[in-house]
Amino acid sequence: MKTDRELIQEFQRGSDAAFNELVRKYLDLVYHFFQKITPDKMEAEDLAQTVFIKLFKALKKFRFESEFNTYLYRVNINTANTYFKRNKWRNMLHLDQVPDPGYVDTSQDRQWRKEEVWAAVGQLPKKQRLVVMMRISQALPFKDIGNILDMTEGSAKVNYHHGIKRVKSLLGNNK
Amino acid sequence: MNFESKLRKTFSNTSEMLDPEQFINKLTTARYAQALKRSQAISGYLAMVVVLVVGILGYNELDQGAILMEGSYYYSTNIISDQDEDSEYFDDLALYIIEQEEDIWMAFSFLDEIEYDKIVNLMENES
Repeated sequence: MKTDRELIQEFQRGSDAAFNELVRKYLDLVYHFFQKITPDKMEAEDLAQTVFIKLFKALKKFRFESEFNTYLYRVNINTANTYFKRNKWRNMLHLDQVPDPGYVDTSQDRQWRKEEVWAAVGQLPKKQRLVVMMRISQALPFKDIGNILDMTEGSAKVNYHHGIKRVKSLLGNNK
Repeated sequence: MNFESKLRKTFSNTSEMLDPEQFINKLTTARYAQALKRSQAISGYLAMVVVLVVGILGYNELDQGAILMEGSYYYSTNIISDQDEDSEYFDDLALYIIEQEEDIWMAFSFLDEIEYDKIVNLMENES
């Protein structure tokens, strides 16, 4: 089986088949990433498509300065961030649907809907939003998150701490 | 269960798969559609530039003073400014012809032939 580097180099020499091989290899990872962000399957598929179209353009000039995996995460994150910005008003509307904290079920078993969580995450400042997004949807270690987002591990932790605190208060769980 | 685990649990039931071949087909179609759109946008832009350039050149050319005379356009900046002078000259010429010609009707028919009816009208009005 060919490595990512070999596939990318073949693609850079003009082989679309090599690019399709990369798509087959990473489709699940990309699609699952967006499935966690949006409740709409079609939207998740569209976002995955956007990622691969971006890759098709960008990989022609890829210089292997970082691992392909890391690069792919960055493209995912940027696409998700654009999606959040585009849907800010819609997210705000979703947030309005979150029950008033005075009436919310604060029991340990209370489970949120994906829309509620992402509506709250969408309200965070960019850095916090990206770190929280990577941590809760991908369960990545802070070191990897820092590497992907070009920040230190400590900075990733601090951003996560502030972000998750805000999400907690937005979701009405102050326990 | 802590808050982070509860959040992760929210996303735990997302494990559907896509058919890779179907996805690749859609992706290829989308890529071609995007490339087509891009080339159409470039063509549109170029066409707009050409129209603009032709428009500017045409405007500059027409601005030289295109005048419709006897079914033809003439481009000259002198025509308008010299028009009065020319008119006087032709009037004098017409009078000279009328005076010199023994048969005044011959003169009138000549002027009528060259469609110079100013003097003819004038003399008709006077009579």
